[in-house]
Amino acid sequence: MHNVVQSDLKSGGLVGRVETVAVVAVSHHGRLRVPSFASNVFRIAARELRESARSRWFLLYTAAFVALGLGVSYVSAASSGGSGLSGFGRTTAGLINLVILVVPLMALSAGAGSIASDRERGMLAYMLAQPITRLELLLGKFTGLAAVLLTSICLGFGVCAAILAWKGSRTDPVALASLVGLTFLLAMSMLGTGLMISVATRKSSVAMGVAIFSWLTLVFVSDLGLMAGAVALRMRIENLFALSLVNPMQVFKMWALVSSDTSLDVLGPAGLYATDIWGAGVTWIFACVMVLWIILPLTVAASIFSRRSPI
Amino acid sequence: MISIQGVSMAFGRFQAVDDVSLSVAAGQSLALWGPNGAGKSTIIRCVLGLYRYSGSIRIGGLDVQRHGKEARRLIGYVPQEIGFYDDLRVHEAVRFFGGLKCVAVRDPDSVLDGVGLCGHAGKRIRELSGGMKQRLALAVALLGDPPVLVLDEVTASLDAMGRDELVGLLAQLSQDGRAMLFASHRQDEVHTLADRVAILERGRLQREGSPAELLDASMTASHLKFHAAEVRHA
Amino acid sequence: MRYGGIIFAAIGLTCWPQVVFGSVDISQLISAAKAGDTVLVPTGVYRGEIRIDKPLKLIGVGRPTLDGGGNGDIITITAPDVEIRGFRICGTGIDLDKENCAIRVNAARVTIVDNILDDVLFGIDLKESPDSVIRGNHIGGKVLDVARRGDGLRLWRADRTIVEDNEIHNGRDAILWYSTDVIVRNNKSHDGRYGFHLMFSNGVTIEKNDLFDNSVGVYLMYSSKLKLIGNRMLRNRGPSGYGLGLKETDDFLVQGNIFVGNCVGIYIDGSPFATPDSGRITENTISANDTGVEFLPAVKGNHLWSNSFVDNFEQIAILGRGELTGNEFDRDERGNFWSDYPGYDRDGDGVGEANYESRLLFENLTAREPSLRLFMFSPIHQAVEFIARAVPAVRPEPKFTDYYPLIEPPIEHGAELGSSTSLVMVALSAGLLSIATAVLGIVFFSPIRDAMRERRFIAVI
Repeated sequence: MHNVVQSDLKSGGLVGRVETVAVVAVSHHGRLRVPSFASNVFRIAARELRESARSRWFLLYTAAFVALGLGVSYVSAASSGGSGLSGFGRTTAGLINLVILVVPLMALSAGAGSIASDRERGMLAYMLAQPITRLELLLGKFTGLAAVLLTSICLGFGVCAAILAWKGSRTDPVALASLVGLTFLLAMSMLGTGLMISVATRKSSVAMGVAIFSWLTLVFVSDLGLMAGAVALRMRIENLFALSLVNPMQVFKMWALVSSDTSLDVLGPAGLYATDIWGAGVTWIFACVMVLWIILPLTVAASIFSRRSPI
Repeated sequence: MISIQGVSMAFGRFQAVDDVSLSVAAGQSLALWGPNGAGKSTIIRCVLGLYRYSGSIRIGGLDVQRHGKEARRLIGYVPQEIGFYDDLRVHEAVRFFGGLKCVAVRDPDSVLDGVGLCGHAGKRIRELSGGMKQRLALAVALLGDPPVLVLDEVTASLDAMGRDELVGLLAQLSQDGRAMLFASHRQDEVHTLADRVAILERGRLQREGSPAELLDASMTASHLKFHAAEVRHA
Repeated sequence: MRYGGIIFAAIGLTCWPQVVFGSVDISQLISAAKAGDTVLVPTGVYRGEIRIDKPLKLIGVGRPTLDGGGNGDIITITAPDVEIRGFRICGTGIDLDKENCAIRVNAARVTIVDNILDDVLFGIDLKESPDSVIRGNHIGGKVLDVARRGDGLRLWRADRTIVEDNEIHNGRDAILWYSTDVIVRNNKSHDGRYGFHLMFSNGVTIEKNDLFDNSVGVYLMYSSKLKLIGNRMLRNRGPSGYGLGLKETDDFLVQGNIFVGNCVGIYIDGSPFATPDSGRITENTISANDTGVEFLPAVKGNHLWSNSFVDNFEQIAILGRGELTGNEFDRDERGNFWSDYPGYDRDGDGVGEANYESRLLFENLTAREPSLRLFMFSPIHQAVEFIARAVPAVRPEPKFTDYYPLIEPPIEHGAELGSSTSLVMVALSAGLLSIATAVLGIVFFSPIRDAMRERRFIAVI
């Protein structure tokens, strides 16, 4: 259906010859063809992946994640007396903690830095002057950064798994694999949140500040608030559990516990309540919360991005 | 090719463009002329669909706000300064933007030849001089042979030599039957490139006509204003 | 060996299939036999309840099946010196009031060996049966709600009985009532309520058993003079999931056991009760439990020494606001090994110079407000402990003190459970690393690829 036209650009004077420049696809209506949504998303994602993977933040965070993961798995696998005894124990608990601390910070700052700094550099306007839509750009950025984060996560956990295999730890490989998957979900939710921050702020320094503040809030402040609330207000455990479901870090933690075959009753009365009321269905609740945490910030980001001027 | 009808655009309470109507036919070249803040760049960004505006802008019959992606496919855009990944190599940039325009770039070198960047394909963008960057932007804009060229103060950040080279290139291109819309505040550029000039002030279209008849008058006017201001300060 | 005579039910042994209902009536064989006879039962499926009222050996050849068909009891023994061997016994009723049972014994000196009991409400029920032997049986309960299950094994006044090499699962308890000097050895008990349950049974030795995935591994109640040696209690969980529970029990020695992955490793409630200072807990490895050892308030008279406490989320807990002053964590200047002990050993005697004190703020908070355990494993947990260390004012008083903490675990139990390099883990590692390498390869080496593509193009021109 598409006839291919060889278009000649007479560049004349400066170079003084006629050259076949490029092959242009033209639809049978004679209109110039535009690439599909998916192909644009893919192109932008590939571009973002390559740029981010070479960037300083990626190297820094990945190095930190790999080093800490190595430390956690080495120390826990080598812990004397416990060798071979702890299935869940220290390794998984340590990795969960590490993930909650490092991965959201990495994802939030990657997301927050991306569009705000493009806008500062004038790159955003230039990109959007090309035949692409804003949603394509946003999703392309998201996909590319998600791939970068996945790389970092795979590297970190790959090193952990190597250490655990070498040390002969009894940590269940299936549990570790599901921890990788859950970490990626958490990373995507925080990446979406970062992008939301990024499209809503004008300066990348502000975006970064808001991202770090959000991280602090999600990791420490909200938990501390809930703890204080539980003590001061004598909060009922069902309310406490429900409120903790709002925080993706808590959901990640609980889901990771469940997926490593650890009953939620480890988490005291609230966990026991969850096990009693929801049983195995609690996983579905976690899945729903996580998916919401990925979709909602992205949707908000897309709607802000489509309205705000990119300059 | 470009039809702008009754377009208005405001930043908050500041009316950047106020009911402007313009049109550029194929083979024509229209210069937007006026002092800083007159609304030249705003109109260009509206044409590119970067701002939301009221009124209607059509490129080759396509509404910019409704079919932005297809409309922009008809436009080659050169900004005042290219902002793109500094680490990218020139030929990678050409391939990337070619991809976004559905153009399979078989040979980036020949594309670059056309704008006098022969031999620079392997360089990183940050290694290019200002003039070279602008020529790269022009090469990217010309990918896929768009019927419309939109230029926003393309020579503003260049030195005299770079400016002359770029204007020379653009002069050749303006003979190619494309519709060209450009913003400039340099008289010589307008004289060289434009068939017609639209003079803007505070977002409103003041006059439209040939460069020869309009520019001399308006230059006198602005010179006068300038002098008056200086006198008052003194 | 005394054989009065052998009645060999040969019918069906020569032709195949040998399963012909009613072709052999075991009850008729029994009534035909004299005391002291051996009755051999050929392979086949037999229905109907069997009563053994004279001392004889009932031996299955080729593992015949006694099928209760889901009703009533299956074998009832009312005479002493009976032996049951080599049967598969399945399908008792489910009437908990009548205590439907696979093998009901009301006589002394029975031997029940090498039987497979399946789908039974009660498995083996000994009443007034001293000096019996229960060996090498497999007892699988009914898949019912725990409240509707029966006991896989029950001893009632069965002194000096030996219970060994059995596997008991999916039942309620394996329980000993008023049975003295029983030996319980090399058994597996899992997926039940209580792996072994002692009620008013003194002088019992429980040795080298595996107790896993029960609600409680071993629950000792109202008994004394007990030895619990070399058992493994793994993953006994639930609202009150204990590896070992001690309730008002005296004079017990808990030595060389492994407690891993239980809600509570050892739960001590009112023990020792009547004999002061008679609780001895030593050389155990207590690891990766939610709580290592949990004391009810006012428990005293226990000595814990030479144990390894490794990576329990809470090493020692006191329910409520009790004190542990009545218990001792050392003997002969040897304390326990604590995986979270920060001190060091200057003089090389294997004992750390600083005391081990448990004064974790988060534990203190959760003891007061258990719902706060929801925040375990979160960074806030570490943050709270960090604050406690930085700000001594908020640091809680120590729960207890081990004055002679050991530097090395006194007994290395880990190897026993096996720590082998898992091929799956190797594969996982390889998979993850290759994903990362592939992405990074594409990212960092595409300039090279592009350059090659260009060179080829130039060559074509």
